[in-house]
Formats: sequence, structure tokens, C-alpha cells
Amino acid sequence: MRLLSQLLQNKKAMVGVVILVLIILVAIFAPVLSQYSPTQRVGRPHQPPSLEHWLGTTRLGHDVFTRLVYGARVSLAVGFGAGLMIALIGTVLGIIAGYKGGVVDEVINFFTNLVLVIPNLPLLLVLAAFIGQASPPVIAVILGLTSWAWGVRVTRSETLSIRQRDYVKSAEMLGEPGWRIMTFEIFPNLISIVGINFIGSVIFAVISEATLEFLGLGDPNTVSWGIMLYNAQNASALSVGAWWDLLSPCFALALLGLGLALINFAIDEVANPRLRTGGMLGRWTRMVRAGEGKL
Amino acid sequence: MAFLLRRLVFYLAAFIAAATINFFLPRLMPGDPIQIMFAGAGSNLSMENLNALKLTFGFIDAPMGQQYLAYLQSVFTGDLGRSIKYFPLPVTELLARALVWTVGLVGSATIVSFILGTLLGVMAAWRRGTRFDAVVSLLAILSSSVPAVVISLTMLFVFGYRLGWFPNGYAADPMLDPAFSWPYIASVLHHGALPMLTLVFVLTGGFAVTMRNNMINLLGEDYIVMGRAKGLSENRVMLWYAARNALLPTVSSLAISIGTILSGSLVTEVVFNYPGLGNTLYQAILARDYPVIQGQLLIMTAAMLASNFVVDLSYVLLDPRLKKA
Repeated sequence: MRLLSQLLQNKKAMVGVVILVLIILVAIFAPVLSQYSPTQRVGRPHQPPSLEHWLGTTRLGHDVFTRLVYGARVSLAVGFGAGLMIALIGTVLGIIAGYKGGVVDEVINFFTNLVLVIPNLPLLLVLAAFIGQASPPVIAVILGLTSWAWGVRVTRSETLSIRQRDYVKSAEMLGEPGWRIMTFEIFPNLISIVGINFIGSVIFAVISEATLEFLGLGDPNTVSWGIMLYNAQNASALSVGAWWDLLSPCFALALLGLGLALINFAIDEVANPRLRTGGMLGRWTRMVRAGEGKL
Repeated sequence: MAFLLRRLVFYLAAFIAAATINFFLPRLMPGDPIQIMFAGAGSNLSMENLNALKLTFGFIDAPMGQQYLAYLQSVFTGDLGRSIKYFPLPVTELLARALVWTVGLVGSATIVSFILGTLLGVMAAWRRGTRFDAVVSLLAILSSSVPAVVISLTMLFVFGYRLGWFPNGYAADPMLDPAFSWPYIASVLHHGALPMLTLVFVLTGGFAVTMRNNMINLLGEDYIVMGRAKGLSENRVMLWYAARNALLPTVSSLAISIGTILSGSLVTEVVFNYPGLGNTLYQAILARDYPVIQGQLLIMTAAMLASNFVVDLSYVLLDPRLKKA
């Protein structure tokens, strides 16, 4: 709770939350925001932005704005779905490895390091290529199953240091069972790391989904930002001058990524106050600078 | 020595794991794995050639265990099969041709962005809380959150199409003959500049933020105060006392990020139609040329392991304590 209230005072976090809430609202109210259907031909191909079509039309005559607002649903769903899965697996395995130690730790640690040195995107490409045309839920699941290693590593090393604290020792002395210590003594102290892992995984999942779809491994019938990029690239949107077709999903992806990253950096700053760029510490540094000594 | 030996054994295990994934994936899919693997073969492969290809991927009349060993054997003898789209070109040769371009592109971009990012991070940490620090942080946030596809497409649109400063594709002017001559080299540099700058933009932020955070955590240490107390110059304390020690974790983060770097370059190459691994892979995906898609996983894993090993070596050099361990 303290983390939340501190986050609300952080400027970066506020901007990030506003961006994220905006995109979520757009996704929810997509049918209200646009009168067109995202999958039907509603105009002539490659029309530039106008009053009727705010962001122009695609080569197939779809309304770009409509596809953009409906596409937000897929990006958010895949991002948060896969992000949740990655964070969950990473946290559970990390805490178990760090707390249990011994053989359990060695096995988990070995597999974590193994997954870390096998490059992720090439692996995803091989998986997706065999699946054929991967729909968004399938993409979310394969992202979740292949990308948890970083979370395990970070959570594990933090758990290792928490395990030595007095309150964990005394809980053990009182005879609390292992699962209780892990969930109620250790987990609450990892909350900022879990938060960073979760948001970071959401960013990763959004980027990876768009990338896989852009590379032609997605299901071309879905309405998502990655498929919009794929279609626009296939329609040679840039060389025929239809920049709106390609740059609209680009801008949307950049905005979502930026919002999430701002939240992530803010959590990092709140959890580790020395990293702050401005605010209290800035004032303190300036005060020190104004004085004689440098530190 | 024991440290390096342990790492080598681990890398071997990792490489076998990647090969194992390749072996089991087609067999786990619903349907006939041979059908799936060689669906693109159609009529351009004779029965004889198809059988040779089956052998390479372990599709032999034997129990699963022996099939697996047969596949591992072909992988470790350097036989990754032949491309179905460009039959009879071996996968290794196809990928090796592409690898040259990727290594040039990724290598130069990584070196430039590592040096640039590290310097920016050192300076941002030293001037923590100033406007310079805020700008570096913003750059880091942008480059770590905006997908490489988006950055590549935007750069291509602005500098390639709108301003027309750089060409829109290929590694060199197709009209020129590849030769060690000035026009050809100039053309290569001109064509490579935009994808390289894109990669530098994608990578610099990450290096900067890692270095900045490491530095800040070190600035409170006693030996920094000691350096100052001795009356050493600011630059000397910054570079030789703080930055030198903050570099170690940054180097290890470089190893972890090599996968991300390769992934970023895959996408950038596709957007810029650059004839590296990424584009070769893209063409293979479009044609469902599975031997090539599988081969690139092995090549990329090998590249990742090799660079990890280089980092291990540099670790031993940078941290003398490891030499004895």
C-alpha cells in the first residue's frame, strides 16, 4: 500500500498511468468511438486522412482509425495475459528456488540459465512457424511459457537475501510451514520486484506479439496492431505514400510502450530512492552543490 | 580455469537443449511430422533428395531414441540440412552468407551504442538530478519501450522516403560488382548507415540506464570519498574510481542482452530489406522453409553462447578474484 501511495506522487508514474488508462478506455469503448466495422470495406483504398476517415483507409478500404481502436483490445489482452503468466511463473519459481535451496534450487537455476542463453525471438519464431498462423491467445501462451527466466533470476537472488532476515528466521522458529513463510513473509517484501517484472513482461509481450505478427506468423484475420503493420508493409504503404496506414499502428505501439515503461521506471525509483532523477533528491543535490563540498 | 571449464560444459548443454527443441517440435505437432517439415518441398525435390533430407533430421526407421541421436549427430557434424526453397543450397551456406552482413551490422552498432550508452550513463549518474540526467533517462525509457519494428519503420519513413538521405533497401547498390573498391565500399557504408543508426538508437538507452544505476549505487562507497579526499581531479574519480567498478555488471548485462540485440537486428533487417540473417529468416518463414528456420535457431544460439563465453573471459580479466576461483 505504501508503494501505491508513493507511486501516485511520482510524476513519471502519473503520466504513465494516464496513458495506460486512456488506451484501456479506448479499447473498451471502441464501438462507441467509431461508426465503422473494423473488418469491412468502408471506403476507397488508401484514402488520406479526412473528416470521414480520421486516419485514412488501408489498401483494402478498411478504416484505419477503427482498426486502431479495436486493435488496442488485442494488444492489451495479449500484453497483460502473457505478462501475468510470465510474472506468475517467474515469481513462484524464484521464491521456491531462493527459499528451498539445495537440489530444488540447483534444478530450477540450471533451467533458468538454460532458457536465458537460448535467444528468445528466434525460439519464438521456430515455435510460431510450426504452429502456422498463431492467433493472439496462442501467441500469449507461447510468450508466457518461454519468457519467465529473467523473473526467476531476479526474484531468486532477492529471496536469497531476504531468507537471512530475522523475521524469516523467527517465523521458522515458530514452526510456520514453508508455503506460509514464502507467501506471507517473503512475497510481500518482493512486491516492487514482482511489479517491475510484471510491467516489463507486459511491454515485452506487446512488442513480441507485434513483431511476430509483423513477420507474418500471426493470423491475418485478427484486428491487431501487429497485423496492421503486416498488412501495411505488404501493401508497400510507404513506397506508395500511404504513411497513415503504417505510422498509425507505429504510434499506438510506441505510446503503449512508453506508458508502461514510465510506470516501470517509477516503481524502480520508488523502490530504490537513490535512482531518482528529480524531486527531493534533486533539491538535496543542488543544496550540496551550492555548498563547498561536493558530497 | 575451472570456472571457464564449467561454463563450457553449461554452454554445451544449452546448445543440445536448442537442438532438442528442434528435434521434438515437428514431432509434437498434430499430423505427420515429415509432411509438416517438408510440406514446401512439393515437386522440386526428387525422392532421393527427400530421403537424404529426412535422414539429416532424424526421420529414420528406428525408435525415437535412435532418431534423436541421428539428428544430434548431423547437427554436431555441421549438417543442418538443405534449404527447400533454394534447393540444393545447404542451410549452413545460406546462413553463413547472411551472417557476414548481420555480424557487420550488429557488431558495429553494438560497439558504438555500448561506448555511447556507457559514457552517457556515467555522466548522467555523475550529474544526477540535472537536466542532462533527465534527458538521458527519457532517451532510455523511449529506446527500451518502443518496439524495434516501430523505430525501424519510422526511421525508414523519415530518412529513407521523406528526406531521401539514405537508400531504402539492400546492402549495396545492385548495379555495382562486389569488389574491394572504393565505390563498392562507399555504397555498402551508405546502405548500412540507416539500419545501423536505428540499432544504435534501440540499444543505447539500455546500456545507459544500466551504467547509470550501477554508478549511482557505487557513488556512496568509501573509496569514492577517499579519492576525493586525496584531491584527485573530478574526471579521475569519475572514470577510474567509479566507472571502472560499475563497468563489471554492465558487461554482464551486455551478455544477457545479446539475444535482444540479435532479435532487434532481425526486425531491422526485414524493414530495411538488408540481406542479413533476419531477412533470410523472413524469406524462410514466408516460404515455410523449416530447415532454414530451425537452422537459424541453432546459429543464433551458437552466436549467443560464443558471445557469453567472450564475456566470461573478459570477466576473468576485469575481476582478478575469479582467476583463483
